[in-house]
Amino acid sequence: MIDVTQTLLTLSACTGVAGAEQPVAQLVSGMLAPCAQSVFIDPLGSVLATLCEPQSGYPTILLDAHMDEIGMIVTYIDDNGFLKVGSCGGVDRRLLLAQRVTVHGKEPVFGVVAAHSPHLSTGEERKKVPEMDDLLIDIGCSRERAMELVRPGDRVTIESQAFSMQNGRVCAKASDDRAGVAAVLRAAELIKEAAPACGVKALLSVQEETGERGAKAAGFTADCDIALAVDVSFALTSDAPEHKCGKLGEGPMIGIAPTLTKSISDEFIRLAKELKIPYQIEVMAGETSTNADALGVAGKGAKTGLLSIPLRYMHTPVEVTQPQDIEHTARLLAEFVIRMGKQKEGCTHAV
Amino acid sequence: MLFDTLKDLCMIDGPSGFEQEVAREICRRLDGKCQYTIDNLGNILAFKKGKETPKNKLMISAHMDEVGMIVTGALPDGMLRIGMVGGIDPRVVLGRPVTVGPKKIKGVLGTKAMHMQTKEERSTAVPADKLYIDIGAKDKEDALSIVSLGDPVSFCASYQEFGEGFICSKAIDDRFGCAVLLTMIESELSYDTHFAFCVQEEVGLRGARAAAFTIAPDVAIVVETTTAADISGVEEHKQVCKLGDGPAVSFMDNATVYDRELYALAFDVARKNGIPCQTKTLVAGGNDAGAIHVSRGGVRTIAVSIPGRYLHSPSTVASKRDMEAAARLVPLLAAEAANL
Repeated sequence: MIDVTQTLLTLSACTGVAGAEQPVAQLVSGMLAPCAQSVFIDPLGSVLATLCEPQSGYPTILLDAHMDEIGMIVTYIDDNGFLKVGSCGGVDRRLLLAQRVTVHGKEPVFGVVAAHSPHLSTGEERKKVPEMDDLLIDIGCSRERAMELVRPGDRVTIESQAFSMQNGRVCAKASDDRAGVAAVLRAAELIKEAAPACGVKALLSVQEETGERGAKAAGFTADCDIALAVDVSFALTSDAPEHKCGKLGEGPMIGIAPTLTKSISDEFIRLAKELKIPYQIEVMAGETSTNADALGVAGKGAKTGLLSIPLRYMHTPVEVTQPQDIEHTARLLAEFVIRMGKQKEGCTHAV
Repeated sequence: MLFDTLKDLCMIDGPSGFEQEVAREICRRLDGKCQYTIDNLGNILAFKKGKETPKNKLMISAHMDEVGMIVTGALPDGMLRIGMVGGIDPRVVLGRPVTVGPKKIKGVLGTKAMHMQTKEERSTAVPADKLYIDIGAKDKEDALSIVSLGDPVSFCASYQEFGEGFICSKAIDDRFGCAVLLTMIESELSYDTHFAFCVQEEVGLRGARAAAFTIAPDVAIVVETTTAADISGVEEHKQVCKLGDGPAVSFMDNATVYDRELYALAFDVARKNGIPCQTKTLVAGGNDAGAIHVSRGGVRTIAVSIPGRYLHSPSTVASKRDMEAAARLVPLLAAEAANL
């Protein structure tokens, strides 16, 4: 049985900045293999697995989570051997100064995000956040050595080691959306045991952070009737607006939005109540800023649902989740699929 | 030896006022090698006999404390409010792991996601009084059953060698100075020498004030880590000093106008022994010399500092070459200053 905490930690430790997901893709392919009839890596790098083929008259359901993480990309090496970088996905510039990073060059290269020291910065300067263009990575090398180790286009990640917190919470980078990946892997395991009559595919997609690009292409290839995206959403902290947040530890956030299929949202809620799985409602007024947006309109179009795992400090190196939320998400997802496999005639009573 | 000692010392947590663990490790290394006492503030005052008693009573000092934070409150949602201990730029702590209190509880300095920030918020640093630490507590009561108000908070950051001869660590300022003093104590000295491992430098040069009074030296050498801004884009005259160009010797900073003769002597000694050495080119910062040189009737004082980039952050960067050069220069300078 997949332990979601351990799976999250394993996934988090792996590198896969948007557009350079090969290491995590390889890891995920291996993890999916025991549950899959076939695993395929598409032209953009997404991992698409077939868990079971549909029996006649049953729909095909796609489970998606994105495996890419935000990071930076080397754009230039200057005369003193410092690296210029751009952001790859939404990087919070406010926390970059003096961060330790790994430049994924010819070999992993240690670096520090350069900043003026506080002894020199005046009070006013300390309130400002440098633009990406004003930042440098200090790898402690001459230009000559830097050129040997690093090339423009190499990805950069912030150094971060996962650890357990009080009350079983876990701090781990890239939990957006490796927590979702862990939920899909766990759901795949539960689904395999149940052997439903519907078709089930799992998509671990690339480049969500740079515009849901992996889902656009793989959604077409998957050619499913129902797409269920698993992503993360905001868990409340006192500096955040309450109406935009769920709560850590209170279960998956079931998405309701004009761009999602309402009957799927309703079915998630009904199932959660029936199975006594804690849940929260997340209402969005338009698109959801998740892969559900792309999957819904991929190819011929699909009905879509969205489950989000509450997460604190999104897009920082210290993202925090509660593993029970991941397990609950996986169970709700799996149960939805298993029920679909019991109801002949396509999209069933619920959908 | 120097770098092993430095690594061991850097990995110990000791924000100002909470230097006990650092002091314990230093005392362990002093046992059997020299006489020492611990004063009322927690300073370690050590004395080692040399071959001769010098004309000038010599004191060499470094500080044991490092910058950090302190728990000032717990919020209803279980988050901890903190104050900065020492001159920390709040921009270098956001989004980083820390350890809290004697039980070494791990936590993070969190922030709401950038998706929920306004354009202005994205370009504005989170001020110190808005920062909070998440240890995973459910609520205030849960938090205060694990940590206490007044608990020290330290950076959770490893010691790392990288690049072409550099070290990145927390607390290089000033465990490097402590490591130099320990290395000297391990060696045979030409002259009787007093060593002060001081507390509370980062919160107002406080330990050194008492230490200098008790030792009552004629000449003092402070071994420190100072700001280097030798980064692309910083104007040459604002770079202060450069990594790799040897220890920086200051003529003046915000706390001290240094002894002119000792300043000249430092460069003479460096030149004669082929040790690289540079001038700190900006009047900025300050260190224990500020308290020492005005102790009692006045003390002739000089500071020898290694340049450090990103000082007062979890990721201070210094050059191994500079460290080796400083570790050579300080004893040679002390021997010359003994009879100045």
